[in-house]
Amino acid sequence: MPDGPHFRFLLGSLALQNLGRRKARALLLVAAMTVCSGALLTGAVLMRSIETSMAVGFTRLGADMLIVPAGTLTNITAALLTAEPTELTLDDDMLPRLAELKGVRKIAPQLIFRTDASGYGRGGDLVDLIAFDPARDMTVQPWLEQHLDRPLRQGDVIVGGRRQEALGSELLLFGRPLVVYGRLGKTAVGTHERGLFITFETLAQLREVMQQICGTKAALEPNKLSGVLLELAPGATTQQIRFAALANFPGIKVVAGDTMLTSIRQGLAGLLNGMLGLMAIMFASAMLMVSVLFSAIVTERRRELGLLRAIGARRGQVLGVLLTEAALATGAGGLAGCVVGVLLMRVYEHSLVYHLENLGIPFVWLNGGTMALIALLCILFASLIGAAGALCPAWRASREEPYDLIRSEG
Amino acid sequence: MLSCSKVSKTYVTERGPMEAVNGIDLDLPAGGFTAVVGPSGSGKSSLLAMIGGLSRPTGGAVRIEGTDIWALPDDRLAHFRNGRIGFVFQFPSLLPTLRVVDNVALPALLARRCDSSSVYQRASELLDRLGVSQHLDAYPGEISAGEQRRAAIARALINAPALLLADEPTSDLDAATEGEIMEQFRELTRADAMTLLMVTHNLRLAEQADRIVHIAGGRLQA
Repeated sequence: MPDGPHFRFLLGSLALQNLGRRKARALLLVAAMTVCSGALLTGAVLMRSIETSMAVGFTRLGADMLIVPAGTLTNITAALLTAEPTELTLDDDMLPRLAELKGVRKIAPQLIFRTDASGYGRGGDLVDLIAFDPARDMTVQPWLEQHLDRPLRQGDVIVGGRRQEALGSELLLFGRPLVVYGRLGKTAVGTHERGLFITFETLAQLREVMQQICGTKAALEPNKLSGVLLELAPGATTQQIRFAALANFPGIKVVAGDTMLTSIRQGLAGLLNGMLGLMAIMFASAMLMVSVLFSAIVTERRRELGLLRAIGARRGQVLGVLLTEAALATGAGGLAGCVVGVLLMRVYEHSLVYHLENLGIPFVWLNGGTMALIALLCILFASLIGAAGALCPAWRASREEPYDLIRSEG
Repeated sequence: MLSCSKVSKTYVTERGPMEAVNGIDLDLPAGGFTAVVGPSGSGKSSLLAMIGGLSRPTGGAVRIEGTDIWALPDDRLAHFRNGRIGFVFQFPSLLPTLRVVDNVALPALLARRCDSSSVYQRASELLDRLGVSQHLDAYPGEISAGEQRRAAIARALINAPALLLADEPTSDLDAATEGEIMEQFRELTRADAMTLLMVTHNLRLAEQADRIVHIAGGRLQA
């Protein structure tokens, strides 16, 4: 028969009132967990927000490296946003092996087809049609300034920052209508600003008519790429990737972007990981503190625990009372920490974030739902830390004989 | 009802093993009031703890109503203790953070044999019978030592145990309260046919029992 609600209430109430017996000690425990939980909430939200901001802001600075066919002429700019229009191509079967190169974090394949036969504009306008993979893209979608209120899909086209088409309007390419899904911001990279961006699926849909109009071109064959943009993992260097890529893939050329930007991106990623490590250490310390505190609490209350055992409480029930007590105290600390964390974030919003935005550096806060979820996880985590910290002394006490507990002085 | 067979207890101390109880044989029939008398350190409390399932003997067996209690797994022993044995200790033993009525009801709530309203009904009746019904909602710190001891007796009786164990139950009480408590013990053995085993070093109190057992140096005296 399971424990009845009244019994569980009584044990819960016992745990709660035990905390009230030593108010100063309980308040110190709650305060310690408030600091930990507040730091965790603020840290987690700021970290995630910085990551999102980096994803938007730093990705706009382009990829770290670009791999193109050997012999391709490349126009080196600070920002590697697209491959270059070229007749030369790479085979896309290199992608899985390229993604597995040590030090490569992300790859984004692109194919550029430059043509004046698309029928775009006045009929003979030169157009760079750029196919990309939305799932792996890192240089097109971050620049989307306007877009329709739905996900990108097959048959859509994104226009570069200098194009004038209205969102949702139809654009004829090779006689096929495409819907203008979005427009990019101006990047000062010509190919990027004038390009028409479509997914590889849309390109496949157009391929037959393009071949009919433009004739046989290497870039219009299936499974061909003009280049692959790379983002490096923290710690990886452009030299390391250059050598690895050249050794593994003959017939390619490797172009590196601005190494300073790569270093800043990697440094920030490392800093965020370091913050995460510090938080883990802080919580481990909190757990040790709870453990020491509950060792003292258990010693103080040995006789009471023995009495509970004498009147028939099982070991698990005694353990439950002590763990509930710890979880309640640290959970309350977790809750208070969330309140403090929200207040701290308001302070950041009016100071650091305000200054960053004044400098034109976007700061993207997490949405309310995600923040609430992180706060809930902080409270849960604080409770778990309390229970985990109290587990060892509570377990030891629950294993002792009732008479040994009763006759000790406490 | 109770049968102790060559029960021994040796404590391991820093100065080496210390024999507290040495091969005691004791049989008690159902019902009746037995007093175990002996000087401090004679092993009487250790014997009571082994009989009550609170301290595992280093040798021998304890049978209550035919059950070898130390052969039971820990959770079943806890269940047995809860249902068949009641304890009254020599120190204030109510949990200070629970009301008097909650303290009395707690063993029955642990037993989970009936619903909480009937448990609280029985707790109130027992407190009334022991003369502390006016303190149902009080906390232990708000009532006198004698009232606390009566409430502890009510708690020991809540599950209608077969065996009531009392370890120096009146050691810190005044003479008048001591007399009242002893009268309640005699009443319990008469009216409820309960088996009562009381440990005391006070021969005057022991004389009120039906049977007296002397213990010294961990052995029963003839």
